[in-house]
Amino acid sequence: MNFIPKTIKFRNNELAWQKKYNINAPKKGALAPDFELADVDCKNTVQLSDFRDQKPVALIFGSFT
Amino acid sequence: VSLRELYKSYSDSVQFLPIYIREAHPVDGWWMGGGIMGKMMKKYSPSTAFDVYDPKTMEERRTVAGRCETTLQYGIHTYIDKMDDSVSHAYAARPTRLYLIGLDGRILYAAEPGPYGFKPNELKHAIDIYLNMNP
Repeated sequence: MNFIPKTIKFRNNELAWQKKYNINAPKKGALAPDFELADVDCKNTVQLSDFRDQKPVALIFGSFT
Repeated sequence: VSLRELYKSYSDSVQFLPIYIREAHPVDGWWMGGGIMGKMMKKYSPSTAFDVYDPKTMEERRTVAGRCETTLQYGIHTYIDKMDDSVSHAYAARPTRLYLIGLDGRILYAAEPGPYGFKPNELKHAIDIYLNMNP
């Protein structure tokens, strides 16, 4: 598959994914969904709700690519 | 403003949680490391990796996230979404996204999905408003 059709296919898939999940993503004023995750060494875990009444939290989602 | 500058300026008053999610442009997916696009990406986004395959296990995710953490050197822990992508789904976080959450656990700022919605300046603005109202 050459570059342009391949890019269009991946882009459309990504947009479909965003459309599917963005409907239920929390909006301004909504309660943030809680979660518990481990760090890269599995030595520390974090639970979002632990910061309630302690500190505001900035979530930065991303990957390496 | 860059995320690095935000961490530097606000880490005393805001808890930053970088969360590693499924790769956006892995070699075995929507790869952007080749051709003219690859050259542009390498020039304008030098910290982006172009040799990463989509991790298939948590161990692989930890390895890639560790590389990412080491490369970016923000000095804060990166947390890793589980293989079912549950947190990514809950926040519609792919490929990249920013949120600010207040002390009451409610969303103060929800960016539009990245990459076009990834605007650290907007996050900074939301933090400034919040801190001004809650000194």
